[in-house]
Amino acid sequence: MDAVLNSLCCLMALGSSMFLWRPPRSVFKEGALISLYLVLFMAFSFLTMEGSDATLEYLPLRMLALCICFSVTSIQNHKTRYLVMAQVLWLWVEFFGGVSLVYRGLDMPWTRVVAIGSCAAGSVFMTRISREMEFILMVYWIAIWMFF
Amino acid sequence: MYRIPICIGMVLLLLGAAAFGVSLWDGPAAWHTDMRTLWGTPIALFVLWIGLAHAGTLISAIFLALGFPLDRRTSMIAELSTLCSLVVAAMFPLLHLGIIENFYMVVPFLDARGNFANMRSPLVWDCCSIAVYAIASSIFFVTHLLSEKRESLKKMVRPMSWLLFPLVLWVHTVVSLDFAVTFVPEWRGAFFPLYFICGAIYSGLALVIILLMAEHCRVRLLEKLMLALSWVMAAFWLWEFMLKGTFSFEVVFLGAIVPQLLWLRPIRDNSFVIMLVAVSAILSLGLERYVLVTPSEYNVANAFGWVDMGLVVFSLGLFVTLFFMLRVRLRKPLEGDDVVMGELSVQDEESASPVKGELSNNFHLLRLPLLVGFLAMLLYVLWAVSVFPDPMTSLSVANIVPLCLPLLVLVAMVVLCARPFWLVLNRRTKYAFVALMGVAGVLAGMFWAGGSSVAAPGAVSVQELATFKPAEKVWEARCASCHGKDGLFNEKFVREFYPVPQKLSLERLDSLGTDSLVSVIMHGRINMNAYGDRLTEEDARGLVLYMRLLAGEGR
Repeated sequence: MDAVLNSLCCLMALGSSMFLWRPPRSVFKEGALISLYLVLFMAFSFLTMEGSDATLEYLPLRMLALCICFSVTSIQNHKTRYLVMAQVLWLWVEFFGGVSLVYRGLDMPWTRVVAIGSCAAGSVFMTRISREMEFILMVYWIAIWMFF
Repeated sequence: MYRIPICIGMVLLLLGAAAFGVSLWDGPAAWHTDMRTLWGTPIALFVLWIGLAHAGTLISAIFLALGFPLDRRTSMIAELSTLCSLVVAAMFPLLHLGIIENFYMVVPFLDARGNFANMRSPLVWDCCSIAVYAIASSIFFVTHLLSEKRESLKKMVRPMSWLLFPLVLWVHTVVSLDFAVTFVPEWRGAFFPLYFICGAIYSGLALVIILLMAEHCRVRLLEKLMLALSWVMAAFWLWEFMLKGTFSFEVVFLGAIVPQLLWLRPIRDNSFVIMLVAVSAILSLGLERYVLVTPSEYNVANAFGWVDMGLVVFSLGLFVTLFFMLRVRLRKPLEGDDVVMGELSVQDEESASPVKGELSNNFHLLRLPLLVGFLAMLLYVLWAVSVFPDPMTSLSVANIVPLCLPLLVLVAMVVLCARPFWLVLNRRTKYAFVALMGVAGVLAGMFWAGGSSVAAPGAVSVQELATFKPAEKVWEARCASCHGKDGLFNEKFVREFYPVPQKLSLERLDSLGTDSLVSVIMHGRINMNAYGDRLTEEDARGLVLYMRLLAGEGR
């Protein structure tokens, strides 16, 4: 995927994250938003990527995981817990999606996996997360998405 | 109260027992099998029930770990459903093999058994992960069951739920890899791990809702979650259609459209209709699993014979009978002093979860078990790296990692609950526990020793090759598992692990030549393992002669 499309994916994930977990929260609202985003990301991936590119298969899930990572920064209670869980979800999607593709001859995105994993492991030890730290984390995630 | 469900379950079990018996007797010929994937009804049922099995503990563990307000008795019903579903699920891979007595072949004891389990196959990871999940879920259930009256066990439940939470997701991800890593076009899907997890939670929620109805209890939160998940599943089905063009109207109708009836208040308030919606969700996932496992056959009604239907009925009967009999047997410890079920009020929630910062508060209980688990995991990684030094047989990180977390959680769980259980167990149970640990130690030792890639001292010598007898022994020990005892391999068994190997024919052996064949045996080729570290060149030449004998005799 070229750099412009890649950055567009990241921008979509960032923009969509604005509306998740905002009060008033409800199972229906969050469920509907997640499903809607998933469909949106799927349509975007389907229209912009070539069908022969196997990484297309899990791109929408990667975008959703990134979107959830961005969105949990707006949660006030148990922020550390949800930050770790969101990053683990992203790690999960990347790692197991990668394992599926390794058997089809593609390379495992190890740099990305290690970068997300180390950030998730580091987040476990954050007791207080300031707004500045949130910003740094978001920049780090964008860097992972864009460069790894 | 539970007599009617037990009677219904027993009737279903007896009706299905005939199909089960025929399946045992006739083997894979008895049920519908997809001729392209060579998988059929038992595997579809296995995937369905293993999904249902994951949801109970997952719901209970997630709610406990995150401090959601769900009553203990309600959680325990969900956990019990997990254990019963696991028992039902375990039946079907055994049935599918067609040779139940050879089931141990899947367990990766490597050379200790004389046959080589393919550690790169997700089926081997699947077997190990599900075994760990069954043990961990049982420990969790027993701890939760006994925790009502024992304070030392009570404080273990929440840390345990933090261990189970990732494990259950991990195990179902490994199940999804059974499909995702293959070359079957319909199974292509790097999105399968999350798709399978969502499907498992969706169907599991539906099962728990039905079981709670039998207790005359409704948990609105679970119903809302089921409705929300129906949208996520619809998105996944849409993605599958966009990628592969596969679409099943019945699956989408039952799984994504029928649950939308819950938007209507009169339906939402009617317990019976809610139960029908939950049944529809399970039916949808069952059909979806069937279509997935047998991609050549989209018309399920055409494919299903009486044996296939009987196996479905058998699984249902076994689950219902087992669940409700255990429910009756465990009535007192399960219910305790609780009179309420379902969601707790906010006051109850606060009193039920006095721990505020659970990461740090549970950490002091979890740190030692996690460290020991991590050490065990490191040992496994070292073993896996050192035991396959040959580039042809070596495992990549992607092959090793899938078993790391189950191993870590298993060891951590045992260490975590060893001391509290030691304090509450009576003497006889303590002896049994020590014996169990001894057996586990011996098995771990066998696993370690069995992985040795050094040729055994009693290996076939050059002199013995004067006759075909030693070569025959080597063939049966090393080659027969894939190529078959007579060179006419067991295609069904082999295709699940590798693409089908070449059949032996004199023309083909002649065209390849002895030196080339010896080289393939020693150094491997594509999916053929290298045996250079376990056989001498003379052994390999003996095998080539034996192959010629088989090819000449067999055809």
